[in-house]
Amino acid sequence: MEYKNANIRFLESGLLSPFKKWAAKWSLWPCHFITSCCGVELAHAFACGYDGERLGTLNMGISRQSNYIIIEGTITRKMARALQFVWGQMPDPKFVNVIGACGERGGIFWNSYNITHPSDIVPIDFFIPGCPVTPEALLRGVRATQDKIIGKDRKTIEFKKVELPFEKRLKERMVPTSPKLFAPTPAIKVDVKSEVDWGKELENKLKKELDGLYKSITITGKNSIAIRTAQENLMEVARKLRDQMKMDHVKSVNVIEVPHERKFIVEYVVSSYSVEELMPVLVTVFTEMGVKDAKIQSLTSLWESANYSEREMHEFFGVLFDGNEGMGKKFILAPDTPDLPLRKEFKLPDERYVFEKSVTPEFMVPIEPPKDLYIPISEEFVEDAYASDEIVVPIGPHHAGSGHLRVTFRIKGDIIVDAIPEPGFVHRSMEKLAETKLYVQNIPLFERLAINDPVNMNLGYVRTIEKALGIEVPERAQYLRTIMAELSRIEAFYYDAAIFSLFFGHTTGFMYSMAIREMIIEALMRMTGSRSGPSFLVPGGIRRDIPDDVLGLTDNITFAIHKRMKKFEDIFVNNPVTIARAKGVGVLTKEDAIRCGMVGPFLRASGVNYDIRKIAPYEVYDKLDWEVTTGDDGDCLGRFLGRLEEIKQSVRIVKQAVDAVKGIKGAVLSEDVLGEYKEASSDIKGNFFRVFGNLVLPKGEWTTITEAGRGTLLFSIISDGESNVPYRVRVMTPCWMNLRGFMEALKGARYADFWAVYGSFGYFPPEADR
Amino acid sequence: MKKVATPEYDIKDKLKHHVSALSTAAKEVVMPLNVTTQYPRERRKMPDCFRGYILFDPERCISCFQCSFVCPANAIWMKEAPSGRYYPTLDYGKCIFCHFCVDTCPGGALKQTKIHDVAYKDMDEMFTLTEEMIEPPEIIREDEGYVDYVIDKEDLSLKRTKGIDKLIVDVAPSQGVPLVSLCVEPENCLGCGICEGMCESGAVSSLKEDGMVRMKIDVDKCTGCGLCVKECPMQILRLFRE
Amino acid sequence: MIDINALISTIMNNQVNIPLLQPLLDPLLGMPVIGYIIALILWKPFFVLILIPGFATMGIMLLILPWIERKMVGRMQWRVGPREISPHTRGIIQLLADSLRFLFQEVIIHKDAHKLYFLQFPFLYFIPVLLPLLFINAGTAGNPLVPIQTDYALQIMVALISLMPVFILGVGWASNNRFSFIGTVREAFLYFAYEIPFIVVILAMIVLYGTSNTVGVIDKQSGVWWGIIQNPLAALTFFIATVMATARLPFEIPEADQEVSFGPFVEYSGIAFGLAYVMGYEKMYVLSAIMTMLFLGGGSGPVIPGLGDLSYGIWFVIKTLIVLVVMANLRGVYPRYRLDQGLRIGWGAMLILALIALGWSIVVMGVRL
Repeated sequence: MEYKNANIRFLESGLLSPFKKWAAKWSLWPCHFITSCCGVELAHAFACGYDGERLGTLNMGISRQSNYIIIEGTITRKMARALQFVWGQMPDPKFVNVIGACGERGGIFWNSYNITHPSDIVPIDFFIPGCPVTPEALLRGVRATQDKIIGKDRKTIEFKKVELPFEKRLKERMVPTSPKLFAPTPAIKVDVKSEVDWGKELENKLKKELDGLYKSITITGKNSIAIRTAQENLMEVARKLRDQMKMDHVKSVNVIEVPHERKFIVEYVVSSYSVEELMPVLVTVFTEMGVKDAKIQSLTSLWESANYSEREMHEFFGVLFDGNEGMGKKFILAPDTPDLPLRKEFKLPDERYVFEKSVTPEFMVPIEPPKDLYIPISEEFVEDAYASDEIVVPIGPHHAGSGHLRVTFRIKGDIIVDAIPEPGFVHRSMEKLAETKLYVQNIPLFERLAINDPVNMNLGYVRTIEKALGIEVPERAQYLRTIMAELSRIEAFYYDAAIFSLFFGHTTGFMYSMAIREMIIEALMRMTGSRSGPSFLVPGGIRRDIPDDVLGLTDNITFAIHKRMKKFEDIFVNNPVTIARAKGVGVLTKEDAIRCGMVGPFLRASGVNYDIRKIAPYEVYDKLDWEVTTGDDGDCLGRFLGRLEEIKQSVRIVKQAVDAVKGIKGAVLSEDVLGEYKEASSDIKGNFFRVFGNLVLPKGEWTTITEAGRGTLLFSIISDGESNVPYRVRVMTPCWMNLRGFMEALKGARYADFWAVYGSFGYFPPEADR
Repeated sequence: MKKVATPEYDIKDKLKHHVSALSTAAKEVVMPLNVTTQYPRERRKMPDCFRGYILFDPERCISCFQCSFVCPANAIWMKEAPSGRYYPTLDYGKCIFCHFCVDTCPGGALKQTKIHDVAYKDMDEMFTLTEEMIEPPEIIREDEGYVDYVIDKEDLSLKRTKGIDKLIVDVAPSQGVPLVSLCVEPENCLGCGICEGMCESGAVSSLKEDGMVRMKIDVDKCTGCGLCVKECPMQILRLFRE
Repeated sequence: MIDINALISTIMNNQVNIPLLQPLLDPLLGMPVIGYIIALILWKPFFVLILIPGFATMGIMLLILPWIERKMVGRMQWRVGPREISPHTRGIIQLLADSLRFLFQEVIIHKDAHKLYFLQFPFLYFIPVLLPLLFINAGTAGNPLVPIQTDYALQIMVALISLMPVFILGVGWASNNRFSFIGTVREAFLYFAYEIPFIVVILAMIVLYGTSNTVGVIDKQSGVWWGIIQNPLAALTFFIATVMATARLPFEIPEADQEVSFGPFVEYSGIAFGLAYVMGYEKMYVLSAIMTMLFLGGGSGPVIPGLGDLSYGIWFVIKTLIVLVVMANLRGVYPRYRLDQGLRIGWGAMLILALIALGWSIVVMGVRL
């Protein structure tokens, strides 16, 4: 592009050119602009494992002082504005690298409605493949940029062309069609009756309580029950459920569109934190309504935890939740995103299997660079704030301490009066993309919800398929999956701990956490072959057996990790300054935590004893000896220390599981899913597509909850029973559920406490935005 | 259930922890537990199962399209070679290195390498043609040694070895279960000839017999790619073991 | 009309004595023009101001100190720090590359900024930062190495140091940015929090030494009776106040990267930011030099044979460097306090410590009298 040459021209002009080039080469300061999940590997590249600072690259807080942008993966339409703005604010000469496939041709999100191609927005110097890239590849990009600056132009990869064997052209060959099967008029039913022997009592109790308000009550599986109700009775049913049944939070709000029947199904999945027997039970309340002027009473007045999800569904489907203050406003999507993108009539580009003429596909239409910096804060809001002696401070998405989230504060003095979140900077439209991919292709897709907690994300999705198909996972695979899930939990914690310490300006804590993570990554890499995108769990087990030496290494980690953990605690966790910063800050009381529908360690830190691994055990959690960690303080320190204790339990689990799995030999893939390919039971290589390519889930809605690193991960797959792609997938990630409580904890805190609260919640925007 | 209470520091604890933080830092300055891989001059040794760039062996390809079908990022497109066969091309601008394709390939034509540190100047260069996937590519190597993560029961330590780490691993190409396609209900055959058109190896042939088209599958020629099974409008073909 | 001869004799009577270099310098001094220049350079006040521990040392320090900091903090953090730029010298020229890059980079003045002040303040900032060097005594008891001797040296220094934040306020105001505004306000708050203990501590030392002349200050620290031993509390308070004044962790409150992205300097780019970046280190250097002078016995130390006066200067620089390194390495140990906590420490613990130190000084003086 034109601009690239301008940079080089500047460096080459004048007598001082050699000095200019030398200085620019060794002083590439990337600006702190994290755009998506590759930021995790960026952190590794600049942490102690690889230490990018050796090359003279020092991460700098703000665009004005830096001269280098490393775009980490997906640039959504919202983020494109920030990117353009940041790039414009940067002094010349400046350089841009893109890491990760999503920043190039889109990677796994290539047909998403919300992503743009950075090369349309700013001039790019280097593209680095990978998803996520390895830190080494990232540093190769830095080296390549350095070489480019001093004019040493060389290719980092040189392919050798080999003539393909030429055989006699047999005949004209036909091109196969897509392997995907879509039912033309799918029959959607979310309350398919299940024959499990469970829940008769609950069903009767519900029938008694809700007498006359429901249309039908169906047990759809173990621990899940569906209540069909009329549109006008929904509010009343919800109130009864809350008051009589003690259903105190909403786990998911979901809308399913059935275009050929011209109807919406709106469902609320509710559950209880206060009654122990009801904890694992998911009650789905749903109602059907016509597509035209779809309107429903918002349940926010009953359940605050439904608030953000209702706004999200309103944006995606256009269903009006009457009474929610966010109606008609943009929340996740950018102004130029297509309207109502999750409706079936909005089609994404189709996959293509055959190369035709050009390498740049026609769907890569350049997206017009955005012209405005979109900040959805009204003029009146600012005026009002000034009138009452407050200032409005928007933070993010380009800010050294914001990540990919924008929060607009109203600050009075040093106290936060109001915090308005603006998620969606990493909204990659996973729920829509899942509707265009085979079931098995969605495994890597959903893994990218949280690249720093990949196995748990995998596990959640895979378990849902297993539940639907009734697959029994072999014992060895169950143990191995537990080991990997717990390693992933440790990984997620140490990422959050790193960010937590960085937010306090404590770089040493960041580095120590990253060093521990590097250890865990080594184990996962030897198991799966990938640093942080394993995609290793498949329905029915894992892709291949894990050799004993790798298990031995994992066992060693459970011992070795303590030494470095101790150092981390000495220098950061027990540091009096950390204690002073985090103690008593951002308190969420038990009532608030339940009201806002918090999940995971952050709920437990407020005193609720709720861990899915205990209340509804999956894999082998019930066979191992470990304890749930809770706390009463509910402040930043409590949340952080609670998680720290929790991963000590995780280490315990891994140790026991590794010991146990050594004695269990056998298959790692279930025969239920392998069918006739029984040879593949310990290594799927060679038969992957034959086994998994044509999975079709039975008709109905399949919902599971999994305890991921940051809390409850809910997957809900709606299948029509005929297609080999999901009809609709609803993902409720822990971070998304925690967002409401995060904002609640901020109120009344000091401005600088935002980072304490942010870090303590381990808020990971790609996970929240999906 | 384990309860975690946040600590309450009095002045003595504060002093103690100030000292312990300062002394930890001082200890690290004197004897650091360094874990840095100094990348351009040395590489981290990746395990053999590492998922990096993909090589292709045309001899083993049965042109079954499965790699293209399974690719979650749709990075693999099949391209027609001069011989009329379809071979995969790979767009590294989309590839997510999940290696579903490698695990899918029934003939073992796709092979993993440990190459992963590459930067491209141009996005179009990222599109790798079949011809370029056969021989291992050459990348810039500035490394003089490699680093191995050794984790024993005490601690993590780095083992440095001089020499160049081999990036092309010798993994025996795995073979999927060998299959052949057979017609199970020949009486329902429409004679549309789609299977013949799909078949790349020429195993399916049609012959006209008293005005009817009859399909014949030559089991010796059949590679078991399964495309005829997939495309058959009557669903009368099945894959069987040899 | 200046009396040239009187001036020359003043200069010649007050020369730095370096026995080792004398054979080399003598013939040079005999030469017509060069002789005068050499004589001027060797004129003690000038020598101290320009070479050791003045501008030249400071310049070298500015290039080396960030490197030392980055390397040591890197070691602390299990990594390497800057290296590949010159692998054999462990990347010591890293800061040269950084500063050259800043020099050649575009300076952006955004449209909301007050242009005149925006450009002016970073340069004006030099004045209060550099002037205290005029009063620093790098000598030892009975052998002062000080540019200007005055009985009000410490007071002038305090006044100059108190001026520093004013320029930061100016910088923040001229930037006209939300974050620089918050950062500036933080700086202003913190300024009062550390300034009063700082002044009280200096007062304590004046009481203790019975003089505010820097020559007298050093004279009173003969032998091992350094200020830090005579009044350790004062030394501690002074150190904390120095950390606060230079906005180092754990008091990096006004410039907090993650919170207000360099606060007052958020809008600065290119050489203007380079100046601001370097200025922090200059401030650290000057305050550490004052600390060395007040508490660590100035240039006292075993005389290195053959170096004469220079050896005091070298000891002075070494002590200053130690203070600097300790201060810089706090970055690896501590997170940052919140503003209100910083203020509480300033107005609470530090003020109390400072007052106790003052009381201690008065008691010691009383006993001595």
